Amino acid sequence: MTAPTLPARYRVAERRGETHDTVTLALQPVDQPIPAHQPGQFTMMYAPGIGEVPISISGTGPGAGLVQTVRAVGAVTRALCAAGQGQMIGLRGPYGTHWEVDRAAGGDLLIVAGGIGLAPLREALLAALGNGARYRRIVVLIGARSPAELVFGQELGGWRRGGAEVEVTVDQAMEGWAGHVGVVTQLLGYADIDPARTTALICGPEVMMRLTARELRALGVPAARIRVSLERNMRCGVAECGHCQLGPLLLCRDGPVISYDVAAPLLAIREL
Amino acid sequence: MTAPGTPHGEPVSVAGAAELGGHAFLRGMPDAYVAVLARACRGTAARAGHRFFEEGGTADRFWLIVSGHVALDVSAPGRSRLIVETLGKGDLLGLSWLVPPYEWQFGAIAVQDTMAFELNAPAVRAACEGDPGLGYELLRRVMPAASSRLHAARIRMLDLYAAAGQAGDGP
Amino acid sequence: MEDAIQPGSTALMEATALDQLFASLHDAGFAVIGPTVRDGAIVLDELAAASDLPFGWGVQLEPGGYRLRRRADSAAFGHSAGPQSWKQFLHPPREKLWSARLADGAFEIGADDGAAPPRLAFFGVRPCDLRAIEIQDQVLGSGSGNSRYAARRDAVLIVAVNCTEPGETCFCASMGTGPGAGPGYDLALTELVTGDRHDFLVDVGTPAGASVLAAVPHAPAAASTVDGARAAVADAAQHMGRSMPAAGLHELMAGSHDAARWDDVASRCLTCGNCTLACPTCFCTSVEDVTDLSGDHAERWQHWASCFDLDFSHLHGGPVRVSAQSRYRQWLTHKLGTWHDQFDSSGCVGCGRCIVWCPVGIDITEEVAALQAEAQQTESGRTP
Repeated sequence: MTAPTLPARYRVAERRGETHDTVTLALQPVDQPIPAHQPGQFTMMYAPGIGEVPISISGTGPGAGLVQTVRAVGAVTRALCAAGQGQMIGLRGPYGTHWEVDRAAGGDLLIVAGGIGLAPLREALLAALGNGARYRRIVVLIGARSPAELVFGQELGGWRRGGAEVEVTVDQAMEGWAGHVGVVTQLLGYADIDPARTTALICGPEVMMRLTARELRALGVPAARIRVSLERNMRCGVAECGHCQLGPLLLCRDGPVISYDVAAPLLAIREL
Repeated sequence: MTAPGTPHGEPVSVAGAAELGGHAFLRGMPDAYVAVLARACRGTAARAGHRFFEEGGTADRFWLIVSGHVALDVSAPGRSRLIVETLGKGDLLGLSWLVPPYEWQFGAIAVQDTMAFELNAPAVRAACEGDPGLGYELLRRVMPAASSRLHAARIRMLDLYAAAGQAGDGP
Repeated sequence: MEDAIQPGSTALMEATALDQLFASLHDAGFAVIGPTVRDGAIVLDELAAASDLPFGWGVQLEPGGYRLRRRADSAAFGHSAGPQSWKQFLHPPREKLWSARLADGAFEIGADDGAAPPRLAFFGVRPCDLRAIEIQDQVLGSGSGNSRYAARRDAVLIVAVNCTEPGETCFCASMGTGPGAGPGYDLALTELVTGDRHDFLVDVGTPAGASVLAAVPHAPAAASTVDGARAAVADAAQHMGRSMPAAGLHELMAGSHDAARWDDVASRCLTCGNCTLACPTCFCTSVEDVTDLSGDHAERWQHWASCFDLDFSHLHGGPVRVSAQSRYRQWLTHKLGTWHDQFDSSGCVGCGRCIVWCPVGIDITEEVAALQAEAQQTESGRTP
């Protein structure tokens, strides 16, 4: 067999606009589906003829289907966001490390999401809600730019009914917004977490993850029980192109989910 | 919604020193100082919609929020009130009472029913003038609260959740 | 002819038998790739006959300098650190990964044309370069993506050449990769030029090597000849022009992120990336998706990339490594340090090409020595 890893073909079964620049695509395999994945892993999504980008899987089903949420920030992601129902795109993967939600069982699960960072965390939350009895508390703190840029906004009610405590804050309020206004770390103060029992999963812009992790450390959550999802330029997804290095780590293989005790010293080095 | 113009919420009870000392903001403050503050303090319950203060008003009170949700807002012509930040349990509401000319820079309104300790600003300022030890204990709690809000405001200004420039595809 | 040659045995072959060695390789279905003189340098290319080898040619090497020179003898392998390495054949600079037909909102990836990779005999692989091939095997051969590399690798036969004369910029001995070839060759030659005699001591590494040698005139090697050859190689280790510190490079690199030396080298480094092109272990690639004008036909191509390029680390609207200092630091700390974390070995084989082919003559052995000195100064508490 001399063929390199090829994109598997998936059709857009359904598309849902989340915000002005973010779309969630429900995908169904055309041929053989890619292997089963764990929450936190990503695929290389292929916009035919244009290119590939790494996108964390945000959901599963129905059947062998996958859900991926894409923000239009460049040529490839714009093409993916424009894909209509029935259109074919490619997926390679799943790649990378996962949130290890099961390991948090028996304690409190804290999920802190900033902006589009909620997409890689959604499956972790759904997995935990599916196993709700195994967690004492499931707390979800979400930061968004504004109420109009909140992704999965229509799912929050369902998450609350499923047993999660969900709080949302925005950087900029809009008329009619009756929720929190401020940075997501400010919500930690109201959440009253028990640092001894908490495992925290954080995803969002790197500055936001650093600040949130720092705040959690100040509250006494051990670094080994804080997990972040890191990003660098990715090309191959299979540890052969060298792009996704962060010091000793290859993020497509040793990440994107990294424990904060490993990540902290690396994130502290400028231009690493 | 409480009718506009009501200057205070309804007082619930005169806060005892013990209750005040239990508030997160005053954690660790020596009992003697808490007692001084308690003499200038009363509990208050505000209904959702109650306006604590308006921009430009005299900053003659401040609050330690016990529960609920308060929004700091600003008025601009042609736009309804803009919320700059919200505060909740454990937060200090009001900073301008410490900064001459003691005038509110923003307005504040209860978004939900809110319970708080309301303190008399001129009385507290006078007590601090008389006892710098009390002043220091108070300021070393006010400063981190103010610093954390400055920090948060700077972070929000970075607009981290916005998409970066048009160049190329990020991962 | 005597008994069948076996892996582990040695034989003596006269230089005049090289033609028959080439013939034996051709008969076994291999095209021979080896060094030859062209364009003022010794490059790697397909050799039609043994006469294409650079007999009597040597090189003069220095940081940022490479000159051909005439040797006093007629040695074919009295040179080193040419501008190319064997990676251009195993890990090509440009390669089409696949093509697809696009139509009606759908795509279909074309079947692989199934062409088998060419069978190549690498003739004249230096011990450092042999180790470099092994390092790339580790990086590229074991992944799920690159079975193309594995297929090309399997179609290669390696005739290594031990070194008896290190180049001025070589430091293989201190990297533990030479001057004698480690395991992994099919045949290994040690060139012996003394007075009128021109011979090769041949070490047989594998059955494939043995069967190639069987068709070539050879004789048993006298013990004294073997000893002499081994001694010449061992002696070369004592004459290296440069060296790297024997141990502790991984730790040195891990602790060096704030070193002042990076600013110093950045003031010289042009970020041209020559070092990454010349280095036999640098493997980074990028992919490019292209379509034809009709938009019906798409191809994905893979090509070499360099961490010195600004867009190598592009993320969210700009590069992560903007400064030259950060890019040079990335290259060196990866090559000598984090390569260990990622692939369980050093990434450097001591071939010296990066020193020779750097237009401003940056010498990584000098840079490492400076980083080490700075680390020791910082540790002992004196102002760095």
